[in-house]
Amino acid sequence: MKEQLEKVAAHISAGQPLADADIAALAETNDILTLGMLGDEARRGRHGTETTFVRVADVQVPFADGAHIDIPAAAREVRIGGRADSFDVLMPHVRRVVEAAGGIPVSAFSLEALEADAAASGRRLADLLAAVRDTGVARVADAALDQLQHAEMSLDQVRKAGLGLARLTVQHTASTTERLEHIIRARSLQQSLGWIESFAPLGRSWKPGSPSTGYDDVRQVALARLLIDNIASIQVDWSRYGPKLAQVALTVGADDIDSVSPLDETGEGRRRSPLEEVRRNILAAGLVPVERDGARHRVIS
Amino acid sequence: MSINALADTVRAGGRLTEAEALEMYLSAPTHLLGQLANEVRQRRHPDRTVTYIIDRNVNYTNVCVARCSFCAFYRPVGSPEGYVLGFDEIVRKIDETIALGGGQLLLQGGHNPDLPIEWYEDLFREVKSRYPTFRLHALSPPEVLHISRLAQISVPDVVRRLVAAGLDSIPGGGAEILVDRVRILLHCDSKASADEWIDVMRHAHRAGLKTTATMMYGSVETPAERIEHMSRLRALQDETGGFTAFIAWSYQPEHTELQGVEATGVEYLRTLATARLFLDNFPSLQASWVTQGGKVGQLSLTYGANDMGSVMIEENVVRAAGAAYCMDEIEIVRNIEDAGFEAKRRNMHYEILGGPIFRERQVPRMLELAVSRADGDNSVPAELVNYPARSRAERERRAQ
Ligand code: SF4
Repeated sequence: MKEQLEKVAAHISAGQPLADADIAALAETNDILTLGMLGDEARRGRHGTETTFVRVADVQVPFADGAHIDIPAAAREVRIGGRADSFDVLMPHVRRVVEAAGGIPVSAFSLEALEADAAASGRRLADLLAAVRDTGVARVADAALDQLQHAEMSLDQVRKAGLGLARLTVQHTASTTERLEHIIRARSLQQSLGWIESFAPLGRSWKPGSPSTGYDDVRQVALARLLIDNIASIQVDWSRYGPKLAQVALTVGADDIDSVSPLDETGEGRRRSPLEEVRRNILAAGLVPVERDGARHRVIS
Repeated sequence: MSINALADTVRAGGRLTEAEALEMYLSAPTHLLGQLANEVRQRRHPDRTVTYIIDRNVNYTNVCVARCSFCAFYRPVGSPEGYVLGFDEIVRKIDETIALGGGQLLLQGGHNPDLPIEWYEDLFREVKSRYPTFRLHALSPPEVLHISRLAQISVPDVVRRLVAAGLDSIPGGGAEILVDRVRILLHCDSKASADEWIDVMRHAHRAGLKTTATMMYGSVETPAERIEHMSRLRALQDETGGFTAFIAWSYQPEHTELQGVEATGVEYLRTLATARLFLDNFPSLQASWVTQGGKVGQLSLTYGANDMGSVMIEENVVRAAGAAYCMDEIEIVRNIEDAGFEAKRRNMHYEILGGPIFRERQVPRMLELAVSRADGDNSVPAELVNYPARSRAERERRAQ
């Protein structure tokens, strides 16, 4: 297996396209050390040791009348989520969040939720996206490629509405074959669209009794980096996966950490510093932390 | 020596010096450390078996006079939250363990001044009379030392008496870092100095007991002190051959007096891999998924570990300090097999007992860890009055 992986590695570094058999070998290997090393080399070739992270304030709409919108000063992206019976009811709330954000880049909603709203209300997706854009939101927060009904078309509408996409995601962890399909799908979407900046390849939800394993996650991150040469950034979610797995992901292909908390308080009132924690984890992985904002600009501190 | 030359030494089966192991830990790329540890592990365990044990980690008391600054588990003598488990409670836990396919208790606790050696002997005899083949993996070296000090009996005599009562093996807890500078900083030098810990293990090995060895890293020690710790273990293993396994776990800072931050997952994998390279005379290395979570726990299998430790039925100490990971047998086996290994059940001597028990018969799923005592249960076991109380608090309680 090792020899086969090394052969595949030689193909990759020579810039040669991989045959289907090579890709299958990568997707099924238990030699995650070699695979992780290949993912790491590909990531370093593209980003060096630089590792970006973003502190995100999540805001749910709609909120009660007169509610104060509290956006932590440390947030570098405000991400709006939420549903209502009528989409239009949400827009004034979204506008208030954009105002409260005071220039911090704001992203909102998942594209699949907007697709579903459009289908349920009989309106055009383009109109919903235009309404979101008119509030001052700059990006759709995420788009799960396994949830979108018409991925390419809907993503195209995002662009046409003058919006960006914070990241392309995957909703469900799945079988090895499906995981590989997700990666290939992300690459082919980018081939037609060309403007996707970031892909988060790990599933955002999992069955309670059988979450993905560490091997699954390492394979998925490394494969995403190796096979997707047309999306700049491979992202991992800090709050969803936890510091330990997120840090390991950085050593096998990921270069960006999403969803770091902007709050220094935990639920128990205990103080901690997520900023210090994320920096410490990046440094301990032998990498260099760089804070960015929701528009992917470096934060100069 | 360069990292590449050190890698060649390891590949040729050579032994690393302390300085060389430190150099590897500090400077070798993580992937290289993993590859070398994996190679060494494969040399030692070529059959691609990963073992685990079904046992229950029972903490018989949380009352402790040692008061280590890194510990979130203990309660001082006289605390209303202090407890001692009754023999019948422990027997009930054994019944539950047997129902899950387990054959052993890992029994550890605080240094309770009101539990003399006779209490331990009676407990062990009670367990063995009811379940003659059930194993007791009990009392880490500082507990043995505490019993010896209380009873004013030498450590070899304590070990002999406990073995006669039913003790089967000794867990390697309480080692923290076997360097006295660190132990003083952690307020755990009085419970056992580095020499004392090693000495208890030496006596246990001489008495024919097998033991494990642990390392709690990531508190106040330097990387060189981690290697010094491993070096002490390696030297004793050269002498006695009594250690079955090494278990490294990261200091869990929540709710402790010492506080601080936990070492990262990559540091864990590097520490584990370095241990596999340096501890060339230890047959087994356990993955500490209890502190690292199932995912990094599984990844440990490529960084030198060949054992997934225990199916956790109950855990109190690590949980008190913030970690709360739980895997039952089904989940452990899923992780082992998903990584391409064959899962085998073992006993404390690392003898293979068979395949997964859940494939042989129906066992209940354990998706939540049990605790030693239900919240608010302040009951005092009836048999305690049979043993003289040494602490004033306990004498006053009994006088009421
Ligand atoms: S670590 Fe053990 S000896 Fe130290 S305070 Fe906690 S229970 Fe007592």
